[in-house]
Amino acid sequence: MDYRDTPEEAEFRAVLRQWLSATIPAGWDKIDDEEEAVELRKEWHRTLYRAGYVGMSWPVEYGGRGLSPVYDAILNEESGNMNAPSLPSVGYIGRAIFTYASEEQKRRFLPPLLSGEVSWCQGFSEPEAGSDLASLRTTARLEGDHYVVNGQKMWTSGGQYADWCLLLARTDPDVPKHKGISAFLVALNEPGVTVRPIVIASGEAETAEVFWDDVRIPEEQRLGAPGEGWRIAMTTVAYERGPADIGFIAAYRRTLRKVERLATERGLLEQPETRKALARAYVRGEVLRLNCMEQLSLRVSGRAPGSEGSVAKLLWAEAEQSLQHLAMDILGADELTGVADGWLSSYFTSRPVSVYGGSAQIQKNIIARMLDMPR
Amino acid sequence: MLALLSDEQQMLKEVAVQIAGSAGPANPSDLHTRDRAAAWQSLAQSGLLALRTRDDEGRPVGSGVEVAVVAEALGAGLVPVPYLGSAILATELLALAGAHDEAEALAQGVSRTGVLLDRDLSALARVPGDGPTYGWDVDGAAAALALTDSPDGPQVVRVSLETGFVPVAGADLTRTLVRSDGPIGAAHLTPVGRPLSPEDLQRWEALTLTAISADAVGVMRAAVARAVAYAKERVQYGVLIGSFQAVQHMCAEAYVSAESAASATNYAAWAVDELDPTEALMAARTAKAQCAAVARDVTETVMQVFGGIGQTYEHIAHVHTRRALTDRQVFGDEGTQLLRIADVRLTGE
Ligand SMILES: Cc1cc2nc3c(=O)[nH]c(=O)nc-3n(C[C@H](O)[C@H](O)[C@H](O)COP(=O)(O)OP(=O)(O)OC[C@H]3O[C@@H](n4cnc5c(N)ncnc54)[C@H](O)[C@@H]3O)c2cc1C
Repeated sequence: MDYRDTPEEAEFRAVLRQWLSATIPAGWDKIDDEEEAVELRKEWHRTLYRAGYVGMSWPVEYGGRGLSPVYDAILNEESGNMNAPSLPSVGYIGRAIFTYASEEQKRRFLPPLLSGEVSWCQGFSEPEAGSDLASLRTTARLEGDHYVVNGQKMWTSGGQYADWCLLLARTDPDVPKHKGISAFLVALNEPGVTVRPIVIASGEAETAEVFWDDVRIPEEQRLGAPGEGWRIAMTTVAYERGPADIGFIAAYRRTLRKVERLATERGLLEQPETRKALARAYVRGEVLRLNCMEQLSLRVSGRAPGSEGSVAKLLWAEAEQSLQHLAMDILGADELTGVADGWLSSYFTSRPVSVYGGSAQIQKNIIARMLDMPR
Repeated sequence: MLALLSDEQQMLKEVAVQIAGSAGPANPSDLHTRDRAAAWQSLAQSGLLALRTRDDEGRPVGSGVEVAVVAEALGAGLVPVPYLGSAILATELLALAGAHDEAEALAQGVSRTGVLLDRDLSALARVPGDGPTYGWDVDGAAAALALTDSPDGPQVVRVSLETGFVPVAGADLTRTLVRSDGPIGAAHLTPVGRPLSPEDLQRWEALTLTAISADAVGVMRAAVARAVAYAKERVQYGVLIGSFQAVQHMCAEAYVSAESAASATNYAAWAVDELDPTEALMAARTAKAQCAAVARDVTETVMQVFGGIGQTYEHIAHVHTRRALTDRQVFGDEGTQLLRIADVRLTGE
């Protein structure tokens, strides 16, 4: 057991720190305009990529650097420490492509995904298929060398900005529901695709619904074998649940620092209750970080993510949501009267953390399964 | 970075789990019949009492990680021997004070020594002072260690438990508590070794908080495992209660809590000997805060899963709860740790 950097990791961290302090765009976190913020995130993705910081743990032939996933964790940590913009979440969709794609597909799709030239979204959920994802109704019918897709996807986050979509659709209605689903790689600018933003409670268009009307997808853009969609979806969400992959820890630390500053500015640092609550938030963040490091270590030692991702997902939701509660307690009326700009929005943004990627209840079901509890 | 036990640590774990398995109670009534002396002998023979003695180069024989591995196993087994008190807390104090022969005697299992705590069990007692004072985890110990001020810094002193201390019917059925209500006078103190530096004390506190956290993790993990096993055999409404989602979610939540405490504790255990004392102590406080935050809930949930039988004295569930409540309190509960963490985070103290 050694939580310390190896000499190589330490060297990497030092170089990274220097690079970050020279490169982080000044004032990036003051941008209010949503479009502008998205543009900045995309640009940051490309900047990171050019410097070799995206997909570091991926094989060299697909645009990665073949490093251990520990390097991704270091990037995460330092981005948080240095208050850098959010990291791109290439991890989970990339993993799905990486694990199931043909050689040709990998060469075609992975490099632009990593570089940020092409951005992706995940089209799994539907109005009638959320937790029970396998009951999804969107169909893909094979006609000659094309599939024809019809249906409606919901909660396709980033759909309004993304270029491509990892889509799940039913290709065989006659087999048990888990077995009749296939996965596709589809460009969102195909005729028949309509994207409509969904504004979440925060007031922001965090996600989108996507309508698919007779959209034609060449057969070679199917990912994996016909009927393999369910397995692909499960791999994707397993990686999605691991917070180390999606830059959560960095964001959490940044928010915690902001909340600490709030308490300081408001002269609350003398109150034992506030001090305890801030320390509790720090402890939650540490617990999550350390839990993720253990997961990462399992991954480094060759194990694919399993149900332990559900533990991290639950810890993550709890940490994030209680941190927003703490901010609310500190701000009091100011969060409700518009005096404290942005905090109410952050609060509402923290709520779906226990919904997306499998709700908290579903995570507990998964853990019960792992504990081999009776069905 | 690799946050996993090494192969040797894994082997140590197996040894500790095996000893714990034969020495721990399956039911509270076993606490009267288990051969505690034999368990202590096995621990001594396996070298597990010697982890905090020093080798020829002055380094601990076993790191914080090894300590945590053993403490977790003994906590999981609810083993009624003073491992934390004598083999870890007292031995480390002696070793830091340079009293190596005395530490060695504890490691051999020939004598035992506990620690003396203040009235709310939150710190090593400072003596001389007014009572009450508690000797904690003192099964078979004739004396306990405390601190006294000396011009050269805090000095470890031995306090005899033979006069003035009476047994207490404490919450914990697996570790022995004694109390002295009167003041502990200067005449009763025997200095041991040389005074400690502030760094020594921080290091000691880091180890102490970590070892107690590891014990709590063991208690919680074993309790959850018992509840899950019960949910797979108890039938109501014609089905196993473990098939009810409400029961599944209780178990899943308890499991997540126990694992979260374990993640924080593993890091603290590594930090004990690897980071500088302030950082090690911060990691240990973090672990202790997390353990203290979840230990009561986890063991209460376990009692709930067991239903009525889980509320009875004959059942093992409350033995977990009692040990968990004690781990939560000794050397500072969650609130205590959080305030100290806040001092570091917010005031930079
Ligand atoms: C902001 C946001 C972003 C999202 N991003 C994406 C995305 O990019 N791509 C994508 O495909 N999806 C995305 N989702 C969808 C998300 O994964 C689903 O919302 C989620 O799986 C829950 O499905 P549902 O909304 O249909 O709720 P339902 O499944 O209808 O659940 C309603 C309630 O019932 C509970 N429940 C349901 N089934 C069970 C059960 N078996 N046991 C116990 N309780 C149960 C749930 O926990 C929940 O509390 C996103 C959602 C949100 C809100």
